[in-house]
Formats: sequence, structure tokens, C-alpha cells
Amino acid sequence: MKYGRILGGVAFAALMASPVWAQTLRYATVSEPPSLDIQMGTATLASTIGQHMFETLYAFDASAKPQPFLATGETISDDEKTITITLREGVKFHDGDEMTAEDVAASLNRWSEFGARGQLLGLEKAEATGPLEVTLTLAAANGAWKSMLAYQNGGPVIYPGDVASAAGGDQISPENYIGTGPYSFGEIRPNRYVELLRFDDYSKIDAPLDGQAGGRDANFEKLHFIPVPDVGTRVSGVQAGDYDYAEYISGDLYGGIKDDASIQVKISAAPIFGLMFMNSDSGPLKDNYALRRAIQMALNTEQALQVSVGEPELFKADGSFFPEGNVWYTEAGTEAYNNGDPEKAKAMAAEAGYDGTPIKLLVSTNYKEHYDQATVFTRQLADAGINVQMVVVDWATLLTLRGQPAEWDMFMTHHGAIPDPVLLTLMNDSYPGWWTTEEKQALAKKFTGTSDLEARQATWAELQALIYEQVPAVKVGNVYSFDIASPKLQTTWDSAPAFPHFFGASN
Amino acid sequence: MGRYILHRTGAAIATLIAASIIIFAFIHLIPGDPVYVMLGDGATPDQVAALRQRLGLDEPVIAQYFIWAGNALQGDLGQSVFFDTPVTQVIAEGAETSILLALITMVWIVGFGIPVGVLAAVRQGRWIDQGLSGLAMLLASVPTFWVGLYLILIFAAGLGWFPSSGYPSIFEEGGLSNLRYLVLPSLALAAPNAALILRLTRASMLDVSREDYVRTARAKGIRPSRVVVRHILRNALLAVVSAFGFTFAALISEAVVTETVFALPGVGRTVVQSILRRDYPVIQGVILIIVCLYLVINLLVDLSYRLLDPRVELE
Repeated sequence: MKYGRILGGVAFAALMASPVWAQTLRYATVSEPPSLDIQMGTATLASTIGQHMFETLYAFDASAKPQPFLATGETISDDEKTITITLREGVKFHDGDEMTAEDVAASLNRWSEFGARGQLLGLEKAEATGPLEVTLTLAAANGAWKSMLAYQNGGPVIYPGDVASAAGGDQISPENYIGTGPYSFGEIRPNRYVELLRFDDYSKIDAPLDGQAGGRDANFEKLHFIPVPDVGTRVSGVQAGDYDYAEYISGDLYGGIKDDASIQVKISAAPIFGLMFMNSDSGPLKDNYALRRAIQMALNTEQALQVSVGEPELFKADGSFFPEGNVWYTEAGTEAYNNGDPEKAKAMAAEAGYDGTPIKLLVSTNYKEHYDQATVFTRQLADAGINVQMVVVDWATLLTLRGQPAEWDMFMTHHGAIPDPVLLTLMNDSYPGWWTTEEKQALAKKFTGTSDLEARQATWAELQALIYEQVPAVKVGNVYSFDIASPKLQTTWDSAPAFPHFFGASN
Repeated sequence: MGRYILHRTGAAIATLIAASIIIFAFIHLIPGDPVYVMLGDGATPDQVAALRQRLGLDEPVIAQYFIWAGNALQGDLGQSVFFDTPVTQVIAEGAETSILLALITMVWIVGFGIPVGVLAAVRQGRWIDQGLSGLAMLLASVPTFWVGLYLILIFAAGLGWFPSSGYPSIFEEGGLSNLRYLVLPSLALAAPNAALILRLTRASMLDVSREDYVRTARAKGIRPSRVVVRHILRNALLAVVSAFGFTFAALISEAVVTETVFALPGVGRTVVQSILRRDYPVIQGVILIIVCLYLVINLLVDLSYRLLDPRVELE
């Protein structure tokens, strides 16, 4: 009894001493972000945080269509190589200066030259042609130009001109994280948090929020992004009220928490998908497309998803590279997906001249799903007489080894949701795998050479069919990751976006 | 005594140099490159080369070692590749958490391990001794992460008595009340170590209690409690204190799991995350400091023998 009172007293004192967090959104992240200079990297977490500070000329609405954001509109020349963009007036940077066409031109030129995705646009130059007018000159027409200017991840966010010019190819240092967003940079405390502060002079668009487009409200005084690497602790932390939001909860916990009243479950609206890349540079799979198709024939991807994800609500064995309902959804070529026929695969491999040469499958243990999928595939391929040897390393090692063609024949990775097929890593000639066949090049040129949506959709269908024919990579399937939130947190979205944002959110 | 300290300091410096070479060599032998981790999937070979040059990773490994060692001698452990801040600052951020966690854990270990060990020895063979020995076995065999997760589940998510994770500095808002963030992690970390000290204290007490001078003390009619405290415990502590030194130093490295489970911004977690990111300067800096810590603690433990047992000669 006496000890009970003492313990109760200690607990009461602890509760009384609790700080008031109501004005701070506490977001439990899976790790720490690399640089928040999001022009230069494609880390998901850097974009999730950075989108609150930095803005783009265009932003995606709820239907994933790019809408003018820092821009107000554009005119395009007949050959689609010259784009003149007008800018919103009176937009303020966090340092108090007003955004000008010079700032925009400097940011776009830096991104084009050094940015993570800058080279995809084919921007020759961006020039300030008026105080609030920028003219872009492209090397060739690029039908995806607006999506690329709207996509934050490794995208062309706008910095003050002097910051962008001074940084060049180096990453911008934290003291120069200056943008136009509703939150400004506060501080980074290694292993503790990244802090953003509400920007009171934010130049808000006078329109309701629509996806990421429209008026962005900042209702929290501060946003704290706190690294909590253990998934069990992220869940307990939300249950205990220590965090308002926690990302990347593992699928095996879904059944236990989906009906928990102390948690809101936010299943992702943007599925990620696993990919098993093939080496087009060297090795037994280099240009043996028949053998690649035999491998594809042997794989039962549904089984791999069942093992790696578990919960049926959280995965879908879908061969299309874009989810159903998306503007880029097509079933072209997908009859070759998820056949899981070892006998047919064995016959196809023999026909392809396969002699039992070991095929090296590079996989990392850092991502449990990759490892589980690789293990299932290795067994399925063994059933088809295809000799796969798993090379198991950590993620940092895999990133290095996959750049060395002699070290692997296949490797496991995953891909996030993207707004346009040009952003698929498969479409990038220099991405490990190095798929650069003439057929691909011709279709890619046709695909980017026009802004006409219908024409682009038709070409994308041809490209997806080519992927299933030449098999530069095997798609594993769609995985709907999920996040959790405290019951009090109100967001403007129900299903978690690819980069969860807290515009208009409140507690 | 002076000569002894001088001799041990010389040996420590030699150990430190050897350790620095081993640390540097092993870290750079691991495949993987921080540049790929930082730049992500979209990086072009030109971007990779430019960042490698900026970080000095294009120099030969031996040259990199001498640059690093030369700077370390002047107190400059370099710049974190990932955080783009001085390594000393990254370590300082984590040091407060790790040191406080280790100190509070030691309080639990000493406060529980020694008295309970003494009690078990005094009641040797009785039910209380058997019960406590069983408890010690249980505490020693249950994994720290499991204890940690259950403490969070019961005392944070369930009862709401303590925070589930994280640790704001005691120098920030909340002050000393922020120590409540370290209660559950320190209990999780203390469990196996307290069990070890309990078993060691019990065994050492039983050994000493069979000595002739203890029998003599009892024959002289000295109160049993005085015999236990003055004659048995004091001599039994020699072995226990030796274990304290190692335990305290080991807590810094053992804390890796606890710091991960409780999301504590400590040195242990920093080094693990840095290994995954191949943040070479941070890994090297942290390990070097841990090696220094081990060397200093070992020296202090050796010196403390003399205080506990005047018969010990330090040569």
C-alpha cells in the first residue's frame, strides 16, 4: 500500500512535469534524413520534410494533375521547346526577400546542371525575361515538363538566387535552407529531431487546398521530425501520446492495430513496388531476353508478396507499373506477369541455351521485404532449374556493388510512386541495369516528344509491353505501406500520400 | 605509484595508436560508400565523383589515415559526412544521453545488485537465496530489447507513467524532470548487469566468509551484521569493483540496443546509424573515444584496488 502510494506519487509528479506539446506536431520517422537540399537527392524523408519549406512552380492536385503554384501560367512555342512561365507576385522567402524571376532562373539552372533529376528535363537554359517571367529553352520537346517541375522529390524547388548560385554542385548547408513554404527551417539536432517553424509571412494562395496545390495552411507552430528507428517503439509512442504521427509501420503489425481506438491507420494512397533488376551490361543475362522471360515465367509474385508483406489488404499482385485508376494505368504486356509456371520456365530456359551458369542475385537485409522476396524467387527459380545464388549484403554495400556490372546479374530494390513514367528508374539509361536498347530509345523519344496526353498514354503502353518483352526488371507487385496517427490529429487526406504533408492539419 | 601511472599511461597511448589504425583499416575495408547513400538512386557518375572529391574520399586510404590522425591529435575529429557538422558536435549531442543513461543504470545495478547479493549470501541455501538466484538467472537471460519493449508497453502505452521514448536534454525545457525519459531505458539496461553483480556479490561474499579472519571475528563475539559489513563485504567488494569498471564501460556499447528501442539520441545509436550510412568520420571518432574511455576506466579501477585493499601493490 505504502509502496503503491510512493509509486503513484512519482508517476503523478512525472505527469505534472510533462511539457505542453499541443502546438508541435511530432512525427516519428524511421531514420534521419540526409541533406534537406531536395534538389540534390531523392531520399523520401528529405522530401517529406522539405516540402513544408520549399515550393515548386507547379504542384499536383488531388487527381495528380500539375497546377500552377509559384507560377501563374505559361505559354508554349509551337515546337514545344520554349516555355514562358509567369510567376506569382509578392511571394516571400523565409529571409524576407521577395521571389523574383532571377531566383527562379538560378534555381532551375542549378537543378538542371546538378540536380538529382535535373538532366531528365533537357533544359538548355532558364532566363529571367521579366521581373516575374521566366523563359525555359529545352533541347527537345518534353511532354512531361510540367510534371517534372511539380515533382518535389529530387525536383526543382525554388531557392533564393544567390543561395542556388553559390551552392552550385555542392549541397546547400542548413543555415541556407531558405524557401517560400509555410514552414521555415529551425534546426537539426543529430539523432534528436529536425525542427521546422511556422513562417508567419507565408504568401498563401487564396484557394482551398487541393492535393498539394492551392492554399497551404500552417496550423502548428512547430513540426518536429524525430528519428525512432524501432517500429514497435513508434507504435507504442503514438499509443502513449508521445508522437502524433509515425511512418512505415510493418505489415505484420497491421492485424493487431487496425481496430485499436488509440490509433488512426493511414494506408498509403501511393503503392511502392519491388523490382528485380537484370544486368544489361554484362553476365549471362546481358542480352539473353529469352532467358529473362524464362525467369519471369517461373516467378509467382503473389507468393512472394504473401511472404514478404503478409496482410492481404496491404499488397496487390498487379503487373501494371501504375496502379488502377491512375492516368498511366495499362495492362499492356502484363499477361507475362505472375505466371509461376516452373515447367514452362524450364523449357523456355533450355530453349534460351541456359546451361546452369550461376546467376548472382544481389539483395540487402536492411529491407526485410527485399530479402523475403529474393528468398522466395530463388526457390521458385530452383524449381525451374535456374541456379540462383543470393549475394546478401547491407544496403550501403549493395548501393556500391550494383554500380559494378561484374558483381551481379540481378538485384532487388523498390520504387516509390511517381507522377510520370519518365521518372521510372527503368527509363534512366545510367541507372544500374543500364537498359539502353534501340527499341527502348526509340519509344522513349516518342514518349517525351509530345505533350499530347493520349499519344503519350499509347506510347507508354508500348513501353510497358517492351518491358515485359525485354525484361530489364521484374515487377514484384504493389505494396501499400501504412502509417499511423493519434486519434486527435486531423489531416486533409485520409490515405497517406507518398510524402505525407501537414498543410491544414491540426490537433 | 607515480611510476605505475606513468607506465600505464605509456601503454595506453600505444594501445590507442594501434586501435586507431585497426579502426581506420576495418572501417575502410567494409564495402559501401557514403556517397551512394547520400545521393540516392538518381545520382549520375559525375555527381558521385564530385561528392567523393569534396569529401576527400578520392585520396588513398593511407593518406586519409594520416590526415585524420593528424587532425585528431589537435582535437579535430573531422566533419560528419551525413550531418555536415563537426564530429565532436555529433558526439557531444549523444554524450549527455549516454553518460546519464550509464550513470542511472549504475545506480540501479549498485542499488539492487549488491544489497540483494549480500542478502542471498547471508541466507545461503534458504528459499530467499534460491528465489533471488532464480530471479538473477531470469534477468540475465531475457534479452534487453524484449525487456525494453515490455516496459514501454506496460509503463508508457498502458499506464502512461513514463514517456515511451526520446530524451530532451536536461539543459532544455523541462530541466531535471526530463530524467524521467531515462527511467525505463535504464531499467532495461540494468536488468542483465544487476543480475551479474548480484551473482558476483553472492559468490564473493561466500568465498570471503570461509576465510580464517572471518571465523576469528565471529569467535571474538563481534555482532553478525558487523562481521558481514566490515569483514566480509569490504573484502568481497574487491572482485565486484573490478566488474564495475568493465560493466560501466560496457554499458556504453551495450546501450546500442536500448538506445535504438527507446529512440534515445545516444552515442551507441549514433555509431550504429553511422555504420549503416558509412559515415566514416563519426564511426572513427566515436570508437576512438570509447577506446579512450575503456583505457581510463581500467586505470581508475586498478588504482581503486589500492584504496580498498592496502595490501595491493601497484608496480
